[in-house]
Amino acid sequence: MEPILHPLYLSVKIALIATCFSFILGLIFAWFFTYKKNIWTELISLLVTLPLILPPTVLGYYLLLAVGNQSIIGRLFESITGGPLVFTWKAAVIAATIASLPLLIRPIQVGFESIETDILNSARLDGATNWDIFRFVILPLSYKGVLAGLILGFARAMGEFGATLMIAGNIPGKTQTLSIAIYDAVQANRMMDAHLMVMMLSVVTILILFVVHRWLNKG
Amino acid sequence: MTGKKLLLSTLFTAFLVFVAGCNNQKEVQEITVAAASDVYLAFTEIGAKFKEETGTEVIFSFGSTGQLTKQIEEGAPFDAFAAANQSYIQELHDKEAIIDEYQKNYAIGRLGVYYPNLEIEQFDMNLMLDPSIKTIAIANPEHAPYGKAAKEALESMGIWAQVKDKIVYAENIRQAFQYVETGNADIGIVALALIEQSNQENFSLIDQHEHQPITQTFGIPVQSKKIEQAKQFIDFVLSETGQEILLKYGFEIPQE
Repeated sequence: MEPILHPLYLSVKIALIATCFSFILGLIFAWFFTYKKNIWTELISLLVTLPLILPPTVLGYYLLLAVGNQSIIGRLFESITGGPLVFTWKAAVIAATIASLPLLIRPIQVGFESIETDILNSARLDGATNWDIFRFVILPLSYKGVLAGLILGFARAMGEFGATLMIAGNIPGKTQTLSIAIYDAVQANRMMDAHLMVMMLSVVTILILFVVHRWLNKG
Repeated sequence: MTGKKLLLSTLFTAFLVFVAGCNNQKEVQEITVAAASDVYLAFTEIGAKFKEETGTEVIFSFGSTGQLTKQIEEGAPFDAFAAANQSYIQELHDKEAIIDEYQKNYAIGRLGVYYPNLEIEQFDMNLMLDPSIKTIAIANPEHAPYGKAAKEALESMGIWAQVKDKIVYAENIRQAFQYVETGNADIGIVALALIEQSNQENFSLIDQHEHQPITQTFGIPVQSKKIEQAKQFIDFVLSETGQEILLKYGFEIPQE
């Protein structure tokens, strides 16, 4: 079971961390795109959909150049942590974060935009700070959009394959996520293993989404 | 207070994951070897034997030679690289991404026609021209060594122009094999190494003189931190034990 359980653990870990990152980034981006509307934020809001447009392996190749050992980011990371970033599970987190980000931003942004400015203005009149407004007005009112974004983002992070294969590699026990292990099994004609892992990936992801959906939707 | 709840739950998950992620440090003797996917079966067996004899575990990262080459250029932590074709090792050598010594040819891939979907006794190359054969699967000649060899063979036999429109290109040799195996391609030009013993009767080897030899070569990336163990593994693949296993899985042994 070890060759299957470790990739499962790795996938869940990477997807959870990546979703946390892209959730926070997604809230910030969506806030800017909604409340700081100008030509630049509009352009950037389209630019962040690039991960959806580019073929995953191409995205992975550019990421490899951007955070690789020769790059500024890669060197900075290595000088701080003492180890390289690429070809570790941390690189897989970056790939999954970038890949899921556009799927989180869009629904959250739509949620934010659906809130009437009158409501925000009256909260401000009552003396609420921006942070208060964000916590007590914007987030609760755009709840459905935020939840939709979280679910899409997490699902995308669990299934992330192409960019991860490129910048984290296919190293069993270290960077081999479930999606990559499935690909590996198909390549090696171990179809029974592949079917089993497809089942696991599907069941675990749907289960997590189900629990999160039930739990957060009560609010 | 749904906003608070959401933020709290996010932080909580992040914390859980962080705690869960802190317990996987183990120190065992191991090397990581990047290898072309066509040697999957053979190398898995060789790796197990190597561990029996030396105690060093070999972790394989199987992939397409092209992608592995790019990763090694970017500093991927592989201790040895078994490429599906000599030219990639040469390319890495030119970029000073692998060390000068220890570039060793370890196997020669054999190419043939695989026709499990046809009910015939004996395969004849002219059968490819027959209108009943509608699709022929090969790996992409642009970047897959077996695909390049397949194209060369068809050209050398003088039938490339006639069969060109029947050809479907697979991403790699394994995919070409799967096109045929699932019945989506009538025949395929694939590696002998992929054909299981029970299917040998549906496989017909192509004469080696019809294409450039598919010489598979080892190299040691400059970033390898375990050069001695990597050399030991390469020597093991080249030893009688290793070469016998490669022979068993449909490779030929290179003459030095």
